[in-house]
Amino acid sequence: MRVARSKTPWIFAAVISLPLLGFSQQQTTPPANPAATADQSKEAKPKPPEEDGIPVTSDVVRQACGSCHKSDEKKRMTRISARRTTPEGWQETIRRMVSLNGVQLDPETARQVLRYLANNHGLAPEEALPAAFEVEKQSIDYHYSDKDTENTCHSCHSMGRVISQRRTKSDWELLVAMHRGYYPLSDFQAFRRFGPPQTTPGPDGRPPDNRHPMDKAIANLSGAFPLITPEWSAWSANMRPARITGTWAIAGTQPGKGAIFGTMTIRAKDGADDEFITSTKLTSARSGETASREGKVIVYTGFQWRGRSTRAASNQASPDQEGLREVMFIDRNMQSIKGRWYTGAYDEMGLEVEMTRIGAGPVVLGMDHPTLATGGSGTYTIFGANLPANVAAGDIDFGAGVKVARLVSATPSEIKVELNIAGDAKIGYRDLFVSGVVKERGAVVFDKVDEIRVKPQAGMARLGGANFPKQFQQFEVIAYNYGPDGKPDTKDDLELGPMTKVTWSVEEYAATYGDDDIKYVGTIDQNGLFTPNVDGPNPQRPRNANNVGDVWVVAVLTRTGKDKDGKDLPPLRARAHLLVTVPLYMRWDTPEVEGGK
Amino acid sequence: MKHLKPINSKARKIAPPDDVVALSQGPAPQSGPHIPLGCTFIFSPGWETDSSGGTAGLCTPVERDLFDCHNGCFWPAQVPDQLNHAPDWTGKCASAQKDWRKIDLIFP
Repeated sequence: MRVARSKTPWIFAAVISLPLLGFSQQQTTPPANPAATADQSKEAKPKPPEEDGIPVTSDVVRQACGSCHKSDEKKRMTRISARRTTPEGWQETIRRMVSLNGVQLDPETARQVLRYLANNHGLAPEEALPAAFEVEKQSIDYHYSDKDTENTCHSCHSMGRVISQRRTKSDWELLVAMHRGYYPLSDFQAFRRFGPPQTTPGPDGRPPDNRHPMDKAIANLSGAFPLITPEWSAWSANMRPARITGTWAIAGTQPGKGAIFGTMTIRAKDGADDEFITSTKLTSARSGETASREGKVIVYTGFQWRGRSTRAASNQASPDQEGLREVMFIDRNMQSIKGRWYTGAYDEMGLEVEMTRIGAGPVVLGMDHPTLATGGSGTYTIFGANLPANVAAGDIDFGAGVKVARLVSATPSEIKVELNIAGDAKIGYRDLFVSGVVKERGAVVFDKVDEIRVKPQAGMARLGGANFPKQFQQFEVIAYNYGPDGKPDTKDDLELGPMTKVTWSVEEYAATYGDDDIKYVGTIDQNGLFTPNVDGPNPQRPRNANNVGDVWVVAVLTRTGKDKDGKDLPPLRARAHLLVTVPLYMRWDTPEVEGGK
Repeated sequence: MKHLKPINSKARKIAPPDDVVALSQGPAPQSGPHIPLGCTFIFSPGWETDSSGGTAGLCTPVERDLFDCHNGCFWPAQVPDQLNHAPDWTGKCASAQKDWRKIDLIFP
């Protein structure tokens, strides 16, 4: 869709730039005259070391790809040897080779090709983690250091696709050439500079840089993301199958639901050292809802977890056909695994997960309500794993001013305690001590909520439900206390976590005259979940417009208690911007990396 | 008015030099748009928003423009292009605005 008016230079560049899709290109045309080519190569200057490329030693890959990708005497294949990337990056390429270049691969061969390339032409942890948001499908603000490169690439796709690639300089050039070939408009949209060359020297007195944007991008990317790096040299020598079988403790947070705790048992799949079967038990700390899940995982490059889990068969109350997709990264010490589990038509629903290996000792994960109000009391649940059965109230410590009045119950995964918080307890984060184990910042003592903020501050939903799927947007309210100094935005401010007892509504964001967006965009429920309206033209709306619009999402928290003057504390109000916009008509997805559905 | 120059104090009072200067400077620079979610893989400024970060300037309705996008490969990461990924994408509908329910989601 083009913007109907105000085609400013910004919009022109942003709207239509056609950047690097992150694919390699297959060489489809053999040289017309092999002898001439050989002569030319003799005369060519010796290539720098990074141009050598990575030998392809897999017979399966050589056979599957070799009819087009030529091999040299060192088993280096054109394009393939000049690139490293994530499993998703390789899978995108395999898909394109099948869909556009006529490759015929049976599913098993394709899986073997993917696994070989992801493992042997992959990324080191230091290279993969900065681009983790891409494969975790995180909606974050990412800004690349070089503006020219960013403008060339990010308008059609994330910079995450770009920074998860490592290529030789010539392969970066070929990648740009591939984009220009497949998408001819890219030259006009982003890759080439138009207008007369600049002649005025820059502020530093140097002549202006009149290179085309694509040339600037190639120069930048080949310097920043070369094929051979010390990180990959070190990791590829040290790489081994991940030794992760055993039981792991899970601590996660799900927007709209709060903290999730549980355990996962990982066992190896028969006959494979990089595939695993998982059994997971999860408890939602706030609601007490429990779930059992069964899953399967492939670990690439010794640390890249790609899995999918579904609700266990015994739990049919909530069918979960699609399941949760799991993208995580195993820490080098193999003691922790972090990442995101997600679902949704646009991968927008999910939870952040951190897993810790359970050893002989207890593990403390967190609490159902870690916010302890001064002068309050109540029953609280501490979640963990391997917690001692014979724990006593004296084994649990929140620091001065918080008294463990009574131990209500204790199991290996949950301890319920009754707490009394003194009226004069010092406010601040408290480490939670349980039987010799400390959970740093496991709780926070506070006197009142001073401020709330809606998260995310800028949300986005997509119309759907008639022909294309909806993209939902979950909002949540994070509460803050101003800390001992009582002043906002200082370093001693205390984050109190998500608040549940808020009232949600949608208000008009006046962008045009007669703005009527709130009548059409959709609804928000009292859990902060925004559900967009249906896609398609709406005859009820002027100009047959879609149900698009931008609105404020407003949260109001009613507080109890008095201020220092004895007056009731006024309600707190916060808002965030929500854009409700059009669907995407293509889905760049690679479910094959986790073994498919 | 450039050829007229005030020569005494009364003339200087009625001369509008600021207006002339303002017109010759072009429009005032705009502050940055309010863009949600930054440059993630699902976000492409211009497809989802107009230059102000809102939806008021988008082509309305989107279905009216899909043929153009498809045939011209205008939004190749958002709309299937007729050159490569989906040559027959609009084959089932003569007019996207009427037959938009017949358009498929493409997994390239």
